Amino acid sequence: MTNIQSSAVVAETEGPLVPPEPGAATKARPAWRSLNFGPRLWVSAGLILLITLLAFVGPLFYPYAPDQKVGSLYDSPSAEHILGTENFGYDTLAVLMSSTRNSLINGLLAGTLAVFIGVTIGILAGYVGGWLEELLMGFTNIVLAIPSIVILILISISLQSTDIPFLKGIVGLALVIGITSWPWTARAVRAQASSVGTREHIDVAKLSGARTPGILLFDVLPYLASYVVMAWVLQLASAILAESTLSMLGLGPSGTNSLGMQLHWALAFQAVATGAWWAFLPPTIVLTLISFGLLYLQSSLDEVFNPRLRRGKKKNLAAAAARRAENARKLAEQNEREEVTA
Amino acid sequence: MGLKRYLANKTLWYLGALAVAVVLNFLLPRLIPGNPVDVLVSKLGQGGMSSEAQKQTYEAFLREFGLDKSLWDQFVLYITGALHGNFGASFSFYPTPVSSLIEQSVPYTLALQLPAIILGWIIGNVLGAVAAYKGGSWDKSVFTTSLVFSSIPYYCLSIVLLFVFAVTLGWFPVGGAYSLGMSPEWSWDFFSDALTYWWLPFISLLLINIGGQAVGMRSMAIYELGSDYVNYSRSLGIGDGKMTRYIFNNAMLPQITGLALSIGTMVGGALITELVFNYPGMGSLLFGAISSSDYPVVQAVTLIITVAVLVANYLVEILYGFIDPRIRAAKSGEK
Amino acid sequence: MSGVLMRATNVTAVYAADSGKDVPAVDNVTLEVPDGQILGLAGESGCGKSTLGNALAMIANPPLYVVAGKMEIGEETIDLSTLAKGANEVHRGYRGATVSLLPQGAMNAVSPTLRIRNLVVDVMRAHKRDTTKEEALDRATDRLKMLEMPTRVLDQYAHQLSGGMKQRMVTVVSTLLNPQLLIADEPTSALDVSSQKALIEMLLAMVEKKIMRGVIFITHDLPVLSMVTDRLAIMYAGKIVENGPTEELVNNARHPYTSALLSSVLDPTEETRTKHVLGIPGSPPNLGNPPSGCRFHPRCKFAMDECSATEPSFLYERDHAVACWWANKHAFETVPMEVNQA
Repeated sequence: MTNIQSSAVVAETEGPLVPPEPGAATKARPAWRSLNFGPRLWVSAGLILLITLLAFVGPLFYPYAPDQKVGSLYDSPSAEHILGTENFGYDTLAVLMSSTRNSLINGLLAGTLAVFIGVTIGILAGYVGGWLEELLMGFTNIVLAIPSIVILILISISLQSTDIPFLKGIVGLALVIGITSWPWTARAVRAQASSVGTREHIDVAKLSGARTPGILLFDVLPYLASYVVMAWVLQLASAILAESTLSMLGLGPSGTNSLGMQLHWALAFQAVATGAWWAFLPPTIVLTLISFGLLYLQSSLDEVFNPRLRRGKKKNLAAAAARRAENARKLAEQNEREEVTA
Repeated sequence: MGLKRYLANKTLWYLGALAVAVVLNFLLPRLIPGNPVDVLVSKLGQGGMSSEAQKQTYEAFLREFGLDKSLWDQFVLYITGALHGNFGASFSFYPTPVSSLIEQSVPYTLALQLPAIILGWIIGNVLGAVAAYKGGSWDKSVFTTSLVFSSIPYYCLSIVLLFVFAVTLGWFPVGGAYSLGMSPEWSWDFFSDALTYWWLPFISLLLINIGGQAVGMRSMAIYELGSDYVNYSRSLGIGDGKMTRYIFNNAMLPQITGLALSIGTMVGGALITELVFNYPGMGSLLFGAISSSDYPVVQAVTLIITVAVLVANYLVEILYGFIDPRIRAAKSGEK
Repeated sequence: MSGVLMRATNVTAVYAADSGKDVPAVDNVTLEVPDGQILGLAGESGCGKSTLGNALAMIANPPLYVVAGKMEIGEETIDLSTLAKGANEVHRGYRGATVSLLPQGAMNAVSPTLRIRNLVVDVMRAHKRDTTKEEALDRATDRLKMLEMPTRVLDQYAHQLSGGMKQRMVTVVSTLLNPQLLIADEPTSALDVSSQKALIEMLLAMVEKKIMRGVIFITHDLPVLSMVTDRLAIMYAGKIVENGPTEELVNNARHPYTSALLSSVLDPTEETRTKHVLGIPGSPPNLGNPPSGCRFHPRCKFAMDECSATEPSFLYERDHAVACWWANKHAFETVPMEVNQA
């Protein structure tokens, strides 16, 4: 969080020492092209894409439906059912695809909601300041201190006993997760927003008569964009994990699949103890891959936006060092010759 | 900000958070449409009870749990009860008091979490600092491994470890906290037996905590490596060992507040870990209570978790106040 | 080496750019500091003056590499190159004891969790391992008393000191071991006027008391330089273009760049009152691909054919050296100040 600010300072002080290539300016490349997307970013983005394909495109080509009884409790994997059947006799792969889809949808809804609330509160508090900031941040800090899992459990229990099916499903769960997980985004965005708020272009906007909402939207938010994207990626991951935590506790979406529900049933029907690995390993692996992929994506985005965190690649370093040593040797020879002639 | 003001400020905030948490904890379960006793009695009804007997039981339960009183009276009862460690009786194990159920499970949870959090924090920070300072392949391997572990959900790692090391390899017992035929007591036999059950869930929590802390410490330390004081100390001829100490001292401070923020997540993750290992701590108790709609137990467990997390956070932040010289040794007027 | 405290020859330092290419920021520079004198090093930002300072202070750190250079100071001859294995450890012994740095950002020069007294002890022990705490603190206390500074600062943390006090404290720490040469890198640029004055007076007093035997004062603040220094060296695009006694160089600039630099400064005298301030047209060159011949020629009003073809070598007129084709043809002539009369 602090790194974004600090690297901006560094860029300012180090900038003039190595002037940019003249070509970069004249060719007028779009700004994003100058960002250095490392291989890690592609790996993580590819991973996420792969899982998304599994969830949304996979079911179109797979012959079994997730609610189609094709066998009995924990049939071993066979040519027909690659991942066997789970505890209700459904095809595990079919259930896995529908679970992944629901978990992703849940994550997307909840994560977006959380980022929306967090950014709104953070920008308002950071830019407007004064009593509004005190109030909003006081509220945020209190919510932040209370473990969110507890609030999640308590709200979900209440929702479980409602008669509204909408609230019991994926959407209801996403709502609950979204409205409980915004605080840290709000806190972090506030810090960024209040530093952006002191920059000169804001004064210019104010002097030219722009209203506060306009300034927030056009002069503050764009400067936080990279930050908001990273926060969103993290919120996606944490929402997906929150869903599976609740599901494992038996508070998951009723009547539908999710990665957490799949694990819940696997544990309830002793899949681990009986060695039915096909019932619990697939959702475990997909959850891990989603979580790892998103966190990896976030950390590589962090390096793209924060060059200071980037470490040189070893191969390039070695090649450059060899070239440098060679040049140094030549220089030394030349200097020696000059000394002799002088 | 002086130390006194810092302490007063933090105390006030945490008291506020505690108040909000207690009210939420009281109110949220009461938002349940109908009445928790309905659920309980309808369950009893399935056991073949006459409707007259059902009605009597219903009223007895209403009185027992104070649900016939006004919301405010209920709240006062709830607070005074909680302060005396009295959380009423469990629905499922009626008339066992909730407090005795909790007394049985707290030691297991503490035995798992305290060492996992503290050791994880220490090992993770040392690893992260060394990775940042050494750079190169050291950094690469430590960072990647830590990132992998920090992003694996607690229960996923637990499931994999349980399957590989307990079910397949048979190195550890499959779930539970002690062998059949043993009963919890202060004896060497019991402890050595319980220890074999403790290892696997403990390692599972520890690995993830180490990973998370190491990733955080590494980026803090890289940030510190570029700071002016490192450059200046170098220009004075101060050696690498001393400089690592400076960097560690500074990078550690945000890691302490980081610990305060992550305790909640760690505790939440650990609850599910207990579930996977069938470890009889607060997590398993909570799970059982949720599936049997045992509201008094759910409410008591969530309250205790909340209070424990708040107290832990508070202690960490107080400790921070004593450690950070910018708070400890601030003098007014000299800035 | 009578009369000369330090002679640095053929110093070349490069920045390793992300592209893998090395950008020379200091290009084959030779520089002398006379015994007991203060040498000013001036130039636009990015000209390499701070990089040269870092090379001489032996604190080049990746991505900066010193690829060649030799420094004779006192009885010692030091290889400045940072490429050789173990160079860092060799240089460490000289840092702070033989050549010391007074850094630009004294604000954050001391670790925020370190008391000044502990830094003092660490510095002394870094060069003499068996120094006791009492010895180190006695020395620091004596030095503070000698410079009429309060001794209580030793017990404080950096954040408890004011900006000016912090900068003077850092100066005391930098010179604790009586280094032969002090390299002051923009020491006054972050200070208010009265703190600037106090610091400069302290530096002058230290030279007089022979705490150090020479100072290189790096700044773009020409008025400060003309007040403090005995000699001035002007740097442009990684090279020194002119070097001479301060008074002579200011009144009798021989290089068009020096002249332009001087005329861009407001000098509160009667005749300059009616002049327009002249900037220097164009911007500093890209060091990755510097102009041929004299690096200043694309911006120079006096550029001739040979300027873009061949690099000028130094012309020595008594103790005033200049590398310029125009000066070669106009011996002892001052570059005509182009002045627009208002």
